[in-house]
Amino acid sequence: MVIVKRKELSFAERLYLPEIFRALSLTFRNMFQREITRQYPEEPLPKTEVTRGQPRLVELEEGSLACVSCGLCEAACPAYAITIDGGETENFIEREPKLFEIDMLRCILCGFCEEACPKDAIFMSDELELAGFTRKGLVYGIDKLRRPRAALQKRIDYVYRINDRWRNSSSTH
Amino acid sequence: MSTTRSQVFEYERGAAAQELKDDPLHGEAMVLNMGPQHPATHGVLRLVVTLDGETMRDVDADVGYLHRGKEKTCESLGWAKFFPHTDRLDYVQPLANNIAYALSIEKLAGIQVPERGQILRVLLMEVSRIAAHLIYLGTTCIDLGAITMFFACFKERETIYNFLDAYTGHRMNNTYVRIGGVYADLDETSTGILRTWLKDFPRAVDTFEKFLTGNRIWYDRNRNIGIIDRQMALDWSLNGPNLRGAGVDADLRKLEPYSGYERYDFEVPVGTVGDCYDRYLVRVEEMRQSARICVQALDLLEKTKGGEFLSEDRRYVLPPKGDVHRSMEELIFQFKIVTDLRLPKGEAYVPIESSKGELGFYLVSDGTAKPQRCHIRAPGLMNVQAIPILSRGRLLSDMVSLIGSLDFVMGEVDR
Ligand code: SF4
Ligand code: SF4
Repeated sequence: MVIVKRKELSFAERLYLPEIFRALSLTFRNMFQREITRQYPEEPLPKTEVTRGQPRLVELEEGSLACVSCGLCEAACPAYAITIDGGETENFIEREPKLFEIDMLRCILCGFCEEACPKDAIFMSDELELAGFTRKGLVYGIDKLRRPRAALQKRIDYVYRINDRWRNSSSTH
Repeated sequence: MSTTRSQVFEYERGAAAQELKDDPLHGEAMVLNMGPQHPATHGVLRLVVTLDGETMRDVDADVGYLHRGKEKTCESLGWAKFFPHTDRLDYVQPLANNIAYALSIEKLAGIQVPERGQILRVLLMEVSRIAAHLIYLGTTCIDLGAITMFFACFKERETIYNFLDAYTGHRMNNTYVRIGGVYADLDETSTGILRTWLKDFPRAVDTFEKFLTGNRIWYDRNRNIGIIDRQMALDWSLNGPNLRGAGVDADLRKLEPYSGYERYDFEVPVGTVGDCYDRYLVRVEEMRQSARICVQALDLLEKTKGGEFLSEDRRYVLPPKGDVHRSMEELIFQFKIVTDLRLPKGEAYVPIESSKGELGFYLVSDGTAKPQRCHIRAPGLMNVQAIPILSRGRLLSDMVSLIGSLDFVMGEVDR
């Protein structure tokens, strides 16, 4: 426990005028210092693989989605942003989403869908900006969500890296 | 020569009564609405002020404008999915809220957090405490007209947010704490940002003090305003810096250490008079002490490099990504945990010392996937309650310093 010291004002401080000059000198000194303001839309913050932007669906090399519409991301989403309807295809992996919508107005970019997905099919991209004229237009369907795997590769590697913790001990389970 | 708290208190009462009598407009009551959109109310607090001239005769604090039903949301969402919602309670320190919630769940389920996870949590909590106190200082100063201080504080806070951005991927609403630990380990980049900043930060706090502690305007507008004496603080169950400013040495980090706080060397600052000025001094000192804890935590992290930071308890913690592909068992765990995370029957409450005071989640489980009851003990609500009694008989302009120094966030008060 420390008792904080209450200061009594000195005579100079009571006078107030010297204080004003001290403050002004500070203002002038600051005029010659490096600017710290960031002009946001022109100078955006650097985006790295850590940045959790909007979730995107992974598209495999063959052009099909990695998603098998298992519904785990839908169950994990705390904002009820995801709607999935599954369907069958002729591909080797037979299940594919018929409908996969993320309501970007509801999405809070928490990353729970990425964590829950057992098929590496949904990842957080570094796309952050969101604007539109209608609410409907901001409910993204498969066509707006799909991204080639290469575009998300950095994030995928990162997620694997931070998930590496049990690699060695996992055989015990 | 210093006056005692009760002497000042008595003097204040007398002076206020005298002021009321001298006021030429005495006798004509006017009801004034301050807020809910007033910038000085720090959110959406509505104060119904009955004015007698410029003196406040009565104040009614009307809370609830930001009520989003968080407790009920918790009860309908389920255990793990509530984490992002805790971020939005006291939105200036999301990680501390995450941790408070996680601690209660862990107690309920009997999960052990690995050592490195605990150290990381302490680090995150202290960093959030500094960020929250910087917001207090910045916003209170701008309400009192000191714009320079606002920018000086936000410049420091910016670095904290850069650190959080580099570590968690978000600047606000981080959601990085999980049941059983934290989501990811601290990497080199973010450690570097934090270390460099911590080296300069104590000097920045000195600068703040140079700006304010001896500043006549700050002095006049805070000194002997809103005096809370020891008994009153206890009676109104105030907490956090407001309680310590009143001279009560109560800090949960010392009294009931959680997350291994007993390992860190830090002091709890307490005030003597209990006015706005004391609360300011306490918070400034707390920033210094928090910076000290951060340095110690970083050193401990250095020592435990490569250690576990997330529990391996497969009943509650998701398996790592790679294993889900390789093993059927892990895949089943993945499905089980995401869709149907159940906690044993019982109840738990683990309070933490957040930047505002005692923050805790009281959770009752009936053994299903959803909490039967979630009660959020938000320190801000208790602090708001003190506004009417503190402001009665004071000038309207004192209200601004009072609201600033009680330091509450409406997201948490109304929840
Ligand atoms: S969890 Fe993955 S595989 Fe399952 S529906 Fe969501 S994106 Fe598709
Ligand atoms: S990031 Fe979170 S809120 Fe957004 S879709 Fe995924 S789980 Fe839902």
